[in-house]
Amino acid sequence: MSDLLRQLFTDGSIGTGLLETVYLTLISTAFAYLLGLPLGLLLYVTDRGGLKPCLPLNKTIGIVVNLLRSIPFVILMVAFLPVAKAIVGTSLGNKAMIVMLIVAAAPFVARMVESSAKEVKGGVIEAAKSMGASNMQILFKVILPEAKPALIVGAIITTVNVIGYSAMAGTIGGGGLGAIAITYGYQRFKDDVIWVCVALMVILVQVLQEVGMFVARRTDKRVRSGHRRKTVAEEPKPCFLNKTGSSQRR
Amino acid sequence: MIQLLNVNKTYPSRDGDVVALKGVNLTIPDREIYGIIGLSGAGKSTLVRCINLLEKPTSGKVLIDGEDLTQVKPKRLREIRKQIGMIFQHFNLLEQRTVLDNVRFPLELTHTPRPEQKRRAEELLDLVGLSDKAGAYPSQLSGGQQQRVAIARALATEPKYLLCDEATSALDPNTTQSILQLLQKINRELGVTVVVITHELKVVESICTSVAVLDHSTVVEAGDMRTVFASPRSDIAKQLILPHLEPSALPRLRLVFDGASTDVPVISGLAKDTGVAVNILFADTKTIEGNTFGHMVIELPQDEADQAAVKTYLDDKGVRYEEDAV
Repeated sequence: MSDLLRQLFTDGSIGTGLLETVYLTLISTAFAYLLGLPLGLLLYVTDRGGLKPCLPLNKTIGIVVNLLRSIPFVILMVAFLPVAKAIVGTSLGNKAMIVMLIVAAAPFVARMVESSAKEVKGGVIEAAKSMGASNMQILFKVILPEAKPALIVGAIITTVNVIGYSAMAGTIGGGGLGAIAITYGYQRFKDDVIWVCVALMVILVQVLQEVGMFVARRTDKRVRSGHRRKTVAEEPKPCFLNKTGSSQRR
Repeated sequence: MIQLLNVNKTYPSRDGDVVALKGVNLTIPDREIYGIIGLSGAGKSTLVRCINLLEKPTSGKVLIDGEDLTQVKPKRLREIRKQIGMIFQHFNLLEQRTVLDNVRFPLELTHTPRPEQKRRAEELLDLVGLSDKAGAYPSQLSGGQQQRVAIARALATEPKYLLCDEATSALDPNTTQSILQLLQKINRELGVTVVVITHELKVVESICTSVAVLDHSTVVEAGDMRTVFASPRSDIAKQLILPHLEPSALPRLRLVFDGASTDVPVISGLAKDTGVAVNILFADTKTIEGNTFGHMVIELPQDEADQAAVKTYLDDKGVRYEEDAV
């Protein structure tokens, strides 16, 4: 272990870096969803065969989303410096970085949300319509709840992406593990610093992935997991109701 | 009462318009179990979707209790839809909600107070015989159970009408029968008018009081179930109702039992009384409450005197028969 790495550990730089990465990621992802979720739903609703088809609007949003998604993040970061300055008053540091991350992640979120919504079967929507549900009710009471597991998986993928992007914060004077790896590890030739940072990010992603997938599995009621079947079986059944139930069946 | 007046539906496509419904006229009186039968592609599903305007007809009127759905505002349409329950071939339950919450769903849409929602949902689950599954999720149920949940859900808003779009087509024969019995029970006990869309004659035969036959996007025959069954006029109705038998030179009679004739054993009586032996080529009859329903095809002997004797016997016994039908 190099002296520099030991020093970074003892003065708490590594710990701060880890926290900063988490903070950058969470804030950016949250804001990206604030923008991307409505945008994704709008894409879904206005599409051909959607709840309220409006192709001009759909195509316009689609083009903007595709445009933003096709710009490599390194370039986008430079190109959006003035935008960051206009919004948060600075083009440097974590604040500016959050703006870049939101701009990069929001279009991605929009597509994720759109494709998750499209997974909801048309028949279920038709059934809701037949019950007299309004478009808003269909959106909030049918599509969002039914797409929940897919939305959670989408959120995990987005967050992992944002973690990756946040590593570039160092280039504009932001913090986080990426910045430490570049300034202390790469520029001062201390490979062990790089590897420690990489290892921490790998662990971060792993934990996120595992926890996220666990939550997604738990929320999804479609899967007949052995675990859930057991819990249903354990529920006390009033036997007098059972009787009527079985007499109805042949 | 549901009335379709000169309903047309065409779908635009790249290779020109596709006609799904052509000048459909249909009257479905209240409290009936009305069957709409046709082969696949005949336009059945489009037709049933026009009744609650899930499909908007290209032209024509859809009258629900005299109100033309094609003319009403969206808000009013949603209100009327609450009077028209619907169930589907693939059940279309909300998979992330429990059975109870599925049945509660339509009441949630109408902002019914929660305790009332729960009470009504439990009542309906009891009606369909699934009280013990209230906490289960749709994926944990069999097809028949899922359809029962769908029926309970469709009835939550106390609709006057229930549309069934191939509701039993994804189910095995036993389950089909139990679902049909449930529909019959709902019709009798709650007075709900049931519209059954199907390609299976068995379904129409076992519960429907009236039937419309759909072929090539239009209604080719409609009327009282017994009448249509006894003497189908259209080609497609004949094809659906009459058995498919090998042709032969001997004359045949199709005997129709519509519950009106007595339950004497016709064929053995025939042999005993007239001394003429006939060949049974096909028989599909059942006895409901002492009355015989169904039909039978017999082959007569060559001798004309014998043939006349058979007909006289049948006339005497009041058995309806058709010549040269099959």
